[in-house]
Amino acid sequence: MKGRGKGPDPARPKSTDRRELKALEAAREKARRQPPADRPPIAALPFAELVAATNFSFLRGASHASDMVTRAISLGLTGLGIADRNTVAGVVRAHVARKRWPEQMRAALLEARKEAGQPLKLSKEEERACQTDLRLVVGTRLVFADGTPDIVAYPATRRGWGELTKLLTVGNLRSVKGDCILTYEDLTAYLDDLLLIVLPYSTATEQTAHRRPVAYDYDDRPSREAIRQGHLSLVPPPPPADLEALLDRLNRLVPGRLWLGAALRRDGRDARRLARFKGLSASTGVPLLATMDALYATPTQRPLQDVLGCIREGTTIARAGRVLEANAERHIHSAAEMAHLFRACPEAVAESVAFLTHVHFTLDQLAYEYPHEPVPEGWTAQQWLEELTLSAAHARYGPRIPRKVRELLNEEFGLIAKRNYAAYFLTVHDIVAFARMKGILCQGRGSAANSMVCFLLGVTSVDPRKHDLLFSRFVSEERSEPPDIDVDFEHERREEVMQYIYERYGRHRAGIAATVIHYRSRSAVREAAKVLGLSEDVSARLSSTVWGSYSGDMGDARITEAGFDLDNPQIVQLRAILDQLLREPFPRHLSQHVGGFVLTQNRLDETVPLHHAAMEDRSFIEWDKDDIDALGLMKVDVLALGMLSCIRRAFNLMREQGLGDHQLTVDLEAQDGAVYDMLCKGDSIGVFQVESRAQINMLPRLKPRTLYDLTIQVAIVRPGPIEGDMVHPYLRRRCGEEKVTYPSPAPEHGPKDELKAILDKTKGVPLFQEQAMRLAIVAARFSDVEANKLRRAMATFRNVGTIHHFREKMVRGMVARGYEAEFAQRCFKQIEGFGSYGFPESHALSFARLVYVSAWIKCHQPAVFACALLNSQPMGFYAPAQIVRDAREHGVTVHDADVNMSGWDNSLEPLLRSRDGRRGEGVGRALALRLGLRQVDGFREEWAKQLVEARREGLFASIEDVARRAGLPARALRLLADADACRSLGQDRRAALWEARRTPSDELPLFAAAKARELGEEPDAMLPAMALSQQVATDYAVTRLSLKGHPMQFLRPVFAAEGVLSCAETAAAKNGMRVKTAGVVLVRQRPGKGNAIFITIEDETGITNILLWARLFERQRRPVMASRLMLVEGEVQRSKEGVVHLMATQVHDRSAEMSRLAEGLADGTGQIRHPHTARHPRNVRILPQSRDFH
Amino acid sequence: MRLATLDADALALGLTPGMTLADARAREPDLRVFDADPHADQDWLERLCDGSARYTPVAALDSPFGLILDISGCAHLWGGEDALAREAADRLERHGMRVRHALAGTAEGAHALCRFPVGAAADEDAALRRLPAEALQLGEESAVALRRAGLRTVGDLAARPAAVLAARFGEEAVDALHALLGLGRRPLAPRRPRPAIRIERRFAEPMGSTAFALKTLTEMAAEAGERLGERGQGGRRFEVVFFRSDGLAFPLRVETSLPVRDAPAIMRLVQERIDALSDPLDPGFGFDMLRLTVPQAEPMAPTQLALEGGEARREESVAALVDRLSIRAGRARIQRLEPRDSHIPEQAQLALPAVESRPPASWPQRQETGDPPMRPLHLFDPPQPIEVVAQVPDGPPHRFRWRRALHEVTRYEGPERIAPEWWTAKDGRLEGKSVGEGTSAGLTRDYYRVEDARGRRYWIFRHGLYGTEAVHPGWFIHGLFA
Repeated sequence: MKGRGKGPDPARPKSTDRRELKALEAAREKARRQPPADRPPIAALPFAELVAATNFSFLRGASHASDMVTRAISLGLTGLGIADRNTVAGVVRAHVARKRWPEQMRAALLEARKEAGQPLKLSKEEERACQTDLRLVVGTRLVFADGTPDIVAYPATRRGWGELTKLLTVGNLRSVKGDCILTYEDLTAYLDDLLLIVLPYSTATEQTAHRRPVAYDYDDRPSREAIRQGHLSLVPPPPPADLEALLDRLNRLVPGRLWLGAALRRDGRDARRLARFKGLSASTGVPLLATMDALYATPTQRPLQDVLGCIREGTTIARAGRVLEANAERHIHSAAEMAHLFRACPEAVAESVAFLTHVHFTLDQLAYEYPHEPVPEGWTAQQWLEELTLSAAHARYGPRIPRKVRELLNEEFGLIAKRNYAAYFLTVHDIVAFARMKGILCQGRGSAANSMVCFLLGVTSVDPRKHDLLFSRFVSEERSEPPDIDVDFEHERREEVMQYIYERYGRHRAGIAATVIHYRSRSAVREAAKVLGLSEDVSARLSSTVWGSYSGDMGDARITEAGFDLDNPQIVQLRAILDQLLREPFPRHLSQHVGGFVLTQNRLDETVPLHHAAMEDRSFIEWDKDDIDALGLMKVDVLALGMLSCIRRAFNLMREQGLGDHQLTVDLEAQDGAVYDMLCKGDSIGVFQVESRAQINMLPRLKPRTLYDLTIQVAIVRPGPIEGDMVHPYLRRRCGEEKVTYPSPAPEHGPKDELKAILDKTKGVPLFQEQAMRLAIVAARFSDVEANKLRRAMATFRNVGTIHHFREKMVRGMVARGYEAEFAQRCFKQIEGFGSYGFPESHALSFARLVYVSAWIKCHQPAVFACALLNSQPMGFYAPAQIVRDAREHGVTVHDADVNMSGWDNSLEPLLRSRDGRRGEGVGRALALRLGLRQVDGFREEWAKQLVEARREGLFASIEDVARRAGLPARALRLLADADACRSLGQDRRAALWEARRTPSDELPLFAAAKARELGEEPDAMLPAMALSQQVATDYAVTRLSLKGHPMQFLRPVFAAEGVLSCAETAAAKNGMRVKTAGVVLVRQRPGKGNAIFITIEDETGITNILLWARLFERQRRPVMASRLMLVEGEVQRSKEGVVHLMATQVHDRSAEMSRLAEGLADGTGQIRHPHTARHPRNVRILPQSRDFH
Repeated sequence: MRLATLDADALALGLTPGMTLADARAREPDLRVFDADPHADQDWLERLCDGSARYTPVAALDSPFGLILDISGCAHLWGGEDALAREAADRLERHGMRVRHALAGTAEGAHALCRFPVGAAADEDAALRRLPAEALQLGEESAVALRRAGLRTVGDLAARPAAVLAARFGEEAVDALHALLGLGRRPLAPRRPRPAIRIERRFAEPMGSTAFALKTLTEMAAEAGERLGERGQGGRRFEVVFFRSDGLAFPLRVETSLPVRDAPAIMRLVQERIDALSDPLDPGFGFDMLRLTVPQAEPMAPTQLALEGGEARREESVAALVDRLSIRAGRARIQRLEPRDSHIPEQAQLALPAVESRPPASWPQRQETGDPPMRPLHLFDPPQPIEVVAQVPDGPPHRFRWRRALHEVTRYEGPERIAPEWWTAKDGRLEGKSVGEGTSAGLTRDYYRVEDARGRRYWIFRHGLYGTEAVHPGWFIHGLFA
C-alpha cells in the first residue's frame, strides 16, 4: 500500500473513544437525513457509457438492446455506445429502440393515465419525460485472436462504418460459423474514420479457423507488403507487446481518434489501476475514458448473466467459481455513480461526453441503393420495367391492351416509380427468367406478387384482374416498407438459382439474411436446468411436461401437478431465469434465413458484415428480417418447394412417355370438371396442400368447383379460421343453409355495407389475413400505422405476446362503431389464430394453382403422378405404401423392383398385360409403374447406377452374374435378395438370399478373366418354403410396402373370430353403430389445441379415420402411443356428406399379433411363439414407423 | 437418449431396451429414469463374482449381466446341482436382485438357456436344439439372415451341413454352434480376487528382542515391497501385528499419502509409530510370530532410481514428511489446504487431512507482480464484528475498534466488492427483498485492506450495501496481513 489511501483527516479529533465515536455517528446520521444545501450535487457531471454489450454478445451480454437503451435513458445518461463482440447484429435493435422510445413512453404514460381514470392528455411534465436527448452510438467490440487487448471501435462517419463492417467480414470469413478471427494486423488495414477505445485486457477465447474460407475479393485492402513497407512501415505485423506499446503505435496511426477505456471492477484494486491508467495516459497522450464495460442494464440481471456464463463454459453454477463475476457491478451506472467511482480522475468521465462529439454517424445514414443490374445501357430502371411489362402485355393481349389492365398498370407504374422499386421488380424478373431458361419450375407469391406487373412478367401466375387483388393495397405509400415477393423454386434445384444470384451480383454484393435463433422453451429449460445442477431426468421432465410449451403464464398448478415443489429453491430460481429468457425472445445464435437475399449496388460488406453459412458456398449477413426492414433494405425470397420438384418430374415423365409437353404456364385454365369431381370425392392423396386428413374431410363438404374454391379450401383448414370458428359458418352459408349477412355499423358511423366490399368473396366470413387487416382498418378504424403493426404481429411466426395488445383496441373500436361485441371478439380471435399460421389470400391463390396442377396430373395420369411422387420422397403426408396403394386403386399396375428391370428411380413401362384385363386409366398408352431400387432401405444410388450400366450388356442370369458384372458389394447383393428383387433370376427371396450370402463380392482376378462360374455346387440346404405372410412381412421390413398383400389379411381370421370389422365394413356401417375395427397405424396427429387425437389405421380393405378425445387419450395413453397394430372400439359417425369417423372409446394394442406374422404364423408349424427376449425394435420392425406427434 | 435396461414392471408395459427416451415418455409420461452407470454395474458384478467363491473357485464374469460358475465337483457340498443353483439364486434375490439361472454342460449352453428359456425339454440336448438361432449371438445381421432363411432354431442349424453354414455365416458361426452343443470346448477365464499381500514369520523360539523383531520386519517389508513391485502397486496402508507367546498381540497400522513400496520408508514409518506409542512395545516372554499385511494398495508406476548423490524428488520428501507427522500427531491433525474455486474468501480453500489428499496441482495466481497481496495470511473464522466510523453510503473506514482497541486508519485500498452466491439462497430468490431483510444467500461485502497508524494491516469488510441491502451495515474484521 504505497500511500494510495489518505492520511488522517485533520478536521477529525485526535483522541477518540467510544463516546466520541457515537457522537460522530449521530452527527453523520443527522447529516444524512438532512442533506446540506451547500454540498454540490455530484450528478452535475454528464456521462456516456460507451462500452455496453447486448445479448448479441452471445452468452455474455444479459440484456436486450432495448433494455440497455431504456436504462440509459432513465438514468439520464448523455450517450450510450452499443458494442457487441465482433458483431453488429444487435445494433439495429438498439437503434430502433432509441427511435421508438418517445412514442412508447407516451403510450405507456397514456396507458397509466387511462388506468388511473385521468384524462387522456399528457401533462407538460409528462411530455417532457417523453423527450430524451440520449445519443446512441453503435459500433463493435473487436476481440482479437492474437492476444491484443479488446478495442471498441465506433465509426465516426459512414465511411468508417464501411471500414468496420469490412474488417468484421474479413474476420468472419476466416473462421467457422459464428466466430470471427481478427488480428491486430487486420485492424491496421481498416482504420479510416474509426474511433478506437482500447480496453486494458483481452477477453478472447479460442476459435477455430475455417478449412475452406469463402472465396472473397479483398481488392481494396492494402496488401501485406503495403502494410509492411508503405506508410505503415513503423508497424511490424506482430501485435504490440504491451498496452503502452499498443497505445503508442495506434496513436501514431489514428492520432486524435484513440482513447484508453478505464474500466473499474470494484475488485479492490481500482485505485491502483486508475493510477496506472493515468500514468499511461500521460506518457502516451491518449485520453482516459470512464466506462464500466457494462454487460447488463441493471444489477438484477447478474443471475442471468451468471447462468449464461455457465452455459458458455459448459459448467454448472456451483462449480463455476471465479469464471463468474464476483459482484453485480457490470451494469450501466448513473453519472453520479461514475463521478464517485472516478473521483480521482473526473476528466475520464468528462471525456466520455467529449467522445460523442466525434461521432457523426447513425444507422439512418445507411442509404441503400438497390442494384441497377438488369437494366441495359441507356435505360432507366423504370423505363426498362415498363418496356418489359408492356411488351409482355402486347404479347398476351395483342396490340390492344384491355382498359382494365392498362388502368392497373398505370397505377402500379406510378407507385413503383414513386417508391423507386423498379430495380427490385427487375431483379425478381431476372431471377425468374434465369430459372425459366434452366427449366426450373418456379412460382411467385407474397403481397407485391399480386401486381399486374408481376403477372405479366411471369413472376406469378395469378391474374389480378380475375381475382380483384389490388396491388396498391399492399404496397401502400404509408407503409414505407419494401415490397415483398417470395418465389418458390423446385427444392432440388434452388441451389442453382442461389448460386446464380451470387454469381450475377458477386459475393460482395449478395448475401442471405440472417435468422436470429432464440431460446425456445425446451432449449432454455434444458440448458438452464443443467446450469442450476438439476439432473438430466428432472430437466427432461420439466421441458416435456411443464415448460415444454411456455406461454408466459406458467401456472403454479401445472408445476405442482407435474410433481415439483413450488418452494424448492432450484425450481424457484429456474422459473425466474426462464422468465427472463423467454419473456422476450432471447437471442441464442445467428443462423441463415431460408432464402432471403439482400442485394446491393455497392459492396454489401460496407453496409453489414458477412458470415459463413453452415452450407458450403453460402454467405449470409448479420441482420435478420426485422433489422433489414427497419433499415429499409430490400430482400428477395428464394424459397424451396418440394411439390414443384414433383411436378417437374411428372412433366418430364409425361414428355418421355409421349404424353405431351406441359409447362407450369401462367395461363393454365383451371376448368377441368373431372379434376374437381375427383377432389370433391376427397380423393386427394398426394395432391399438394389438400392431402392431409383434415383437408380430405373438408373436400366433400366444400365441393370445390373453381380455382377460387380451391383457394378457400387451402386457407380454411388452418388454425386461424378454425380457432376463430369461421369454418362452419362459411360451410353453412356456402351450401345455403344460412343467409349471407354482413354485420354493419351503427348508421351514424358509416355505410351499412362497408363490410360487404371486404367479405363478399368469402360469403361474409373473414378467411384471409388481408380481410382481417381490412376489417381492422374499416370496422375498427385502425390507422395505417396501427394496421401495419398488427400485420407484423400476425406475420411474426408464433410470436406469442405481441398480438394480444391489439385485442382491446380492435374490439373497442368495433363496438364503438356499433358492431356486436361477439362478432368483434370472433374477428379478433381469428386474427390471433393468424398469429401462429397466417395465410394471406395471395399465397392461397398461388398454392391453389399448384393444387390444381397436381390434382390434374393425379386425375389424368395416375401412374405418372405416383411415380413422380415416389421419386420425390420424402414429401407430403403419406408413406410409399399408401401412395402405391392409392395408385393401384386408380387402376395403375405396379410391378415389384427387380434386378433386371429397375433403376434407382421408380419408372414407367408400357403395360403388357393388365392385371384384370382392364387397360390403365387415362389417355394414350397404358403405363405400369415399376418400383425402383430407391424403395429398398439402405440401397445406394451408386449401386443402382452400376447395376444399370452392367445391364447394357444383357440381362443378368444369376446372382453371381450380378455380383461380378455390376461389381456390387456383398451388402448390396444381400439387400437386393432381401428385397425379393431377384425373381427374374428365378429365385425367390429365401433362395436368393441363401445364394447371395455365399457369393463373394470382390471380384477374383483369375475368374474374372475366365468369366467362369466360380462357385461350385453344394448340397441342398433344404430350406423351408417361405409363407406368404412372411413374404409380406419381409416386404414391409425391407421396402416399406408390399404388392403381395397386406399384413392384416393374414390376421383376418383371428380378428374375424373376435367380431372385428374390416375398414371397408366400418366405412359402410350405419351412423351411430358401435363397432370394433383393427388395422395398422398410419398416422397419429394431435392438431391445434390438442383437444382430440386423430389416428388413421389401415387394413387390406381400406382405411378408417379415428378420433379420440384428449381426456380418453390420457387414460389410454400407452395403447394409443405404442400400438403398431391397433384395435379400436367406438361409434361410427357419418356426416351428411358421407365422411365417416370412428369416435373411439377404447383402444387396444394388438402389436403382438404382428410378431406372430413375422415368426411365420402360417408356415405350416402352426406354432406361435412369443419372443421372450426384448429385441431391438428396429429388428422386429414389420411396418414402417407411423408419423406421430410426441 | 435411449433406454439401457428396464425393470420387470416397465417391460410389462411394453417398453423395450434400446427405445428412445422420448418414445418411452410419450407412452409413459411418469416413467422414472436413472442414468445408466456401466462402471458401477461392472463393479457390482465383479463383487458378486468374487462372492461366488463360496460355491466354486472357478467363477467367471459374463458381462454385462451374467456370471458363470463352474460347479464341477462342488455341487455335492450343497446337496446337488439344483440345490446349489437354488441356494445361489435365493441368496442373490434376498439382496434385491432378480436372478435367472440355468444349468448346462457347457458355459455357452448355460448362458443361452438362461437368456432364452425354452420350457421343459426331454434332456439338455433337446433343450439346446430348441433354442432360437439368436442364442448363437452371431450379431444382428446374421440373426436376421437366419430368420429370412427360415432357420429359426439351433436344431435347424445343426441339421444343415457345417460347410454350407460356414460359407454364409463364417467359421465362427459353426464354432459357436459346436460350442453351444458341447462339441467343442472353449476355456473359461475365471476371475479370482487378488488376495492382499500377507507375510508371516514364525519363530521356533520366542524372540525376546524388539530390535531383532524389527530386523525381521525389515526383511518382511522388503519382501512385501518386492511383491508390490511385481503387481505394479504401492501400499497405502500397512498393518503389522506382533504376536506374543502368551497370546497377546500388538497391532500397528501406518498409512501413507502416496503409494509406497520402499522397505526403508515403510520401516521408518513403523518406527515412528512405535516411538509414538504411549505404551511401549513390550516383548514380554518374546514374540513368536510377526505378520505384515498390505490391505490397501494402489497402482504405482516403477520409478527411476535416483543416481548416487541425486536428490530425492521434492514431492516425495514432502509426502514422507506428511506421513511421518501424521503418524506422530494423528492423521486429522496434519491438514493440507486445497484450493476451491470461489469468490467467497472463507470458501476459497478446504482443509483436508494431509494423508488423504494429494498436493494441489496449482494455486490460483491472480496478482500482478509488485502489488501487495489481496488476501491476508490469517483468516478469522468466523469474522469478528468491529465498530467502524466510515462515510456513507460506501466510503472507506476512517477508524475502527477491534478487541476494545481503537485503530486509526491511515491508508486503505478498496473496496473489493464480493456479492453473495445467489444460487445458494434457501428460498431460491434471485434478488434481495426489501432493505434490512437481506437474502438468505447473504449480503454483499465490501472488503478494504487497511493500515493503521502503527503500520499493522487488517482486512475488514462492510456487510451489506448501504440502503439497498441493509439499513446499518455491520462491519467485520476478516483477516490479518503480515
